[in-house]
Amino acid sequence: MKRWWHRWFRTPKELRAMGVVGINMRNARFLLPNNPRRLYQRVDNKLMTKALAEERGLEVPLTYLVVTSPHDVAFMEKKLLAHEAFVMKPARGSGGKGVLVIDHRDGDTYVKPSGSRLTGAELRHHAENILAGLYSLGGNRDHALIEYRVTPAKVLTEISFQGAPDIRIVMLHGYPVMAMLRAATKESDGRANLHQGAIGIGIDLATGLTVRAVHHGSMITHHPDLKSPLIGVQIPYWDKILEIAVTCHEMTELGYLGVDLMVDETKGPLMIEVNARPGLAIQMANGVGLMKRLMPVVERHKLKPQESAADRIAFSREVLKARTSASA
Amino acid sequence: MSSQLRLILAVLFLCVLGIGLAVYKNRSLGVPLWVGTKATSWLVEAKVSFFHGEAAAPVTVKLALPAAAADESIGQEAGSLGFGYTTEAGLSGLKAVWSARQPSEGSHALYYRVRFPERFKTGGGGEEVKGTPPVAESPGLSGPLEKAAQGLIEKSRAVSADTDTFFTHLFLQVAKDNSAQEVLLLRRHYQNVEKVSEENLLIVMGIDLLKLAGIPARLAHGVRLDANIGPQQALPLIEYCDGATWKVKNPAQPNVSLRSENIFVWNRGGVPLLDVIGGENSKVSFTVVKDMIPLDRMNSLRDSPFLASTILSLPVSERAVFRYVVLIPLGAFVVVILRNIVGIPTLGTFMPVLLALAFLEMDLGLGIVMFAVIVAVGLYFRFLLSSMNLLVVPRVAACVVIVTMLMLLMSLISWRLGVRGVLQITLFPMIIIAWTIERMSLIWEEEGKRNAIMQVGGSVFVAVVAYLVMKVPQIQYWAQYFPELLLVLLAAILLIGRYTGYRLSELHRFRNFSES
Ligand SMILES: Nc1ncnc2c1ncn2[C@@H]1O[C@H](COP(=O)(O)OP(=O)(O)O)[C@@H](O)[C@H]1O
Ligand SMILES: [Mg+2]
Repeated sequence: MKRWWHRWFRTPKELRAMGVVGINMRNARFLLPNNPRRLYQRVDNKLMTKALAEERGLEVPLTYLVVTSPHDVAFMEKKLLAHEAFVMKPARGSGGKGVLVIDHRDGDTYVKPSGSRLTGAELRHHAENILAGLYSLGGNRDHALIEYRVTPAKVLTEISFQGAPDIRIVMLHGYPVMAMLRAATKESDGRANLHQGAIGIGIDLATGLTVRAVHHGSMITHHPDLKSPLIGVQIPYWDKILEIAVTCHEMTELGYLGVDLMVDETKGPLMIEVNARPGLAIQMANGVGLMKRLMPVVERHKLKPQESAADRIAFSREVLKARTSASA
Repeated sequence: MSSQLRLILAVLFLCVLGIGLAVYKNRSLGVPLWVGTKATSWLVEAKVSFFHGEAAAPVTVKLALPAAAADESIGQEAGSLGFGYTTEAGLSGLKAVWSARQPSEGSHALYYRVRFPERFKTGGGGEEVKGTPPVAESPGLSGPLEKAAQGLIEKSRAVSADTDTFFTHLFLQVAKDNSAQEVLLLRRHYQNVEKVSEENLLIVMGIDLLKLAGIPARLAHGVRLDANIGPQQALPLIEYCDGATWKVKNPAQPNVSLRSENIFVWNRGGVPLLDVIGGENSKVSFTVVKDMIPLDRMNSLRDSPFLASTILSLPVSERAVFRYVVLIPLGAFVVVILRNIVGIPTLGTFMPVLLALAFLEMDLGLGIVMFAVIVAVGLYFRFLLSSMNLLVVPRVAACVVIVTMLMLLMSLISWRLGVRGVLQITLFPMIIIAWTIERMSLIWEEEGKRNAIMQVGGSVFVAVVAYLVMKVPQIQYWAQYFPELLLVLLAAILLIGRYTGYRLSELHRFRNFSES
């Protein structure tokens, strides 16, 4: 029922009834008890996350180069000559800060997906900024990571404007809890942050079909720039994506986490990063309060603390599926 | 839920301890819980410091005391490690005398404190002439100098009725006609021939002019009753005789009474303020604080061990610093509430507290204007810098330099415009501003100007709220006299640390949330 105040706010009672989780709740009930501090370094440093993933045989974008000193910066360009496209990012970055995607080269210059160009000097300066800790947690010195640039599968590029869409899966105790796809728009300028105008698309855990899309807080059915339909899209390799997510829980031992993946045209799903403090916007994309998904998992975990990975996935697909699987 | 139980126990313990101590202090020691409206008193501390070179030589220090010190009801005390202390009543008033036969080599500091009610006389009123009335000695001016001085005196005499109005007009004239021939001539003489320093010029010249006019005059010293200026030097004043009484006035403000200027006359009678035999580099400085505890209570409190838990037991010069330090936890508390319960975004966690402290030191309006101007201009220069592709640390350092120069410039401009207060901004946290500019410019580029302005605006808003809370007299009073109440604050912060409800901002953020 629509009330007059819904234009400005919802009452705490209404939000609680819908199972919406706020920041304080997320931190106090899910993050702090389940994520011991010592485990954070495994995910806050992308180099470490990738090393752990490779140990487990998970597919990640191939690392071309790690830049650790000004000396490396000087020779960086030479070592990258073999690669037409690549991504440079801070090892300890967050929120997409400092991520530079190079789509291809044009002579001496580097071209971003948006078409804007970078000179070699600008590329080196970006690396120096990363080393100085400009984009890192707490401003500490950092390393720059240069890796394979994912070319997203065609189904996904059709629903994202220039930027590559990525998939986020939130997990508790190793059970996938909620999933969404973040697609860029003209307004979000290739970025996948929802408050910057990207689209959040809810995904049904059971099937991997998109069920709902939200742009600036209101529901939409088609991409505002590309006009392509956003609902009922089948995410490829869904079974494998869930398996990767569950493995990420096992390798990091974090109780509450978000896993980011991209689906490459040729290599299939690749794990991009693990997040120990996943945001709350995923609830908006799915139209479901996180509490409604988290509570059954808490119960189940109490009942069967040692369930196998396959059983956990089966539980999530069975119990936590979208209510109206075919709402397109 | 053992962690919950532990939290509740800790909170209860802290509350009981904090409130218990406060109640004990209130009930048994009589420290009032509420800030009194008229019970405040001034506490002035004179600190004599000197260097003692030869270990074997005896030292005697004499400090002239205010006339009020003879009054028994006035609270006073002297602190002196290794020195004998007495007072000496002479013809021209009371003196504190410290002496030691063989004090250790090195720097020494002696303290004398006097405490008096806020409405106490300034000590500058008329004092009857005892015995034969004094006669003004000739100041020894001659030639064109004497002519110039006489000219000034004639002009003032023509427009005045008695000695008091003559005094006023004489100094108004000197101040007004600073560029007039006569004043210039006199000034140059005192500067170049007599080698009088700039700050004493008016006093020395004034005393000579008064003497030439046949009015006995001599030097007096005062202290500004202003708790905000920190350690201060004695303020030179002029004491003159109108035939029947001696009066003290400030020649820099000849038409304003000492009382309305809040000047307390420390010594009069023409005796030197400080006299040190056997020490070098001696000087005396004064610190003033406002005490909010009634005087009679204070005197009985001094011996209680519980006073040790308040900052009252510290030397006055240290206490002046603590006035702000005890307010910092309150600022932190405000930040916790506004971030975790209201959900206002801020740049960094405790930057708003530092900003609020800066506002406390100057005026709020002025502080916000300064902050806005410096951040805006600094941001402009920061964007110029960013096109030069500098490394991060040099860039922040460059920002600090720019901010410093901006502050100098603003001080200069406001000084010209006659706005006081901006000069105090040396304490404005410059590094914080430089860092704010750096962070803001990054957010500007990464997340758009809307986010940057939101976060900086949020920080300023939180700082203003913290400032308003810190400014409440009752809260300042509690922080100073009942620091144990900080335990209760700690308990409240612990409780908020376990708050799992929605932030107010989330009620708005999720307003569109629908389940369909
Ligand atoms: N290898 C890659 N290929 C293509 N795009 C990438 C790659 N790595 C990251 N991105 C893009 O950059 C965004 C942010 O990268 P991510 O590694 O998640 O850093 P952060 O921790 O800052 O969020 C991703 O959401 C994705 O859109
Ligand atoms: Mg990410």
